[in-house]
Amino acid sequence: MNEREPWEVVDGRAMAVFEIYIKTTPEKLWEAITDPELRSKYSFGVRVESDWAPGSAYSSGVPGAVEIAAGENLEVDPPRRLVQTFQALWSEGVKGEGTSRVTWEIEPVGTSCRLAVTHDQLHEGANSELFGGWPMILSGLKTLLETGELLDTPGSLRYSNAS
Amino acid sequence: MDDDVFKALADPTRRQLLDALHESNGQTLSELEARFEMSRFGVMKHLKVLEGAGLVVTKKRGREKLHFLNPVPIRTIYERWVSKYAESWAAPLNQLKQDLEKEE
Repeated sequence: MNEREPWEVVDGRAMAVFEIYIKTTPEKLWEAITDPELRSKYSFGVRVESDWAPGSAYSSGVPGAVEIAAGENLEVDPPRRLVQTFQALWSEGVKGEGTSRVTWEIEPVGTSCRLAVTHDQLHEGANSELFGGWPMILSGLKTLLETGELLDTPGSLRYSNAS
Repeated sequence: MDDDVFKALADPTRRQLLDALHESNGQTLSELEARFEMSRFGVMKHLKVLEGAGLVVTKKRGREKLHFLNPVPIRTIYERWVSKYAESWAAPLNQLKQDLEKEE
């Protein structure tokens, strides 16, 4: 299905895959992923800050209140592909999990886009908290882009009042 | 899309396949087949339905095809079809619990 397989599938168990179809354009989707304000609306209230140059750093969290993750933007190819290293920071438990990798891929399909988030280079038996938030984030992203509304299920904006 | 997800979930073998992938993600057809008393073709057919509903995503590793659980459609169903009804039950019960605890 993919023209190029960016990841080396060495061990399928060290990898988690998340896909969703969203009725939007690749440009709007890219903006929603990289704009701190938009990002906070579907990522538990967490902002992501970066200048998005290839090789640059990013950090996500609620400034002055809580750190969620940090890493490097390995590949930045708007509006199609973003590859990032991922170091989770939200608890002592996840800090010890080391660095994994997150690949965002946007592919237009008719009037929609297929968004695939592949979280790999996890170690065997990795804490499922590391990637357990993706379904809620992607579902919230779809809701935001398609309806302009925010999710109101419990926990969906848990950090939005943290600052 | 919701229809496809509900249809895919409305079969015990397919729900077991999702459980098998939840337990151990990224399995080959042979690995999955070994867990079921069913022909390779039968398992393949069920996997196709799950793929069609977006609940299973495949990736290639050399000549092998690995099957991954995609939990996002289930989350979307939960937000649309479960949380709305489940929480309307949970909220008064929580209130009742709080009221009772206050009286103690």
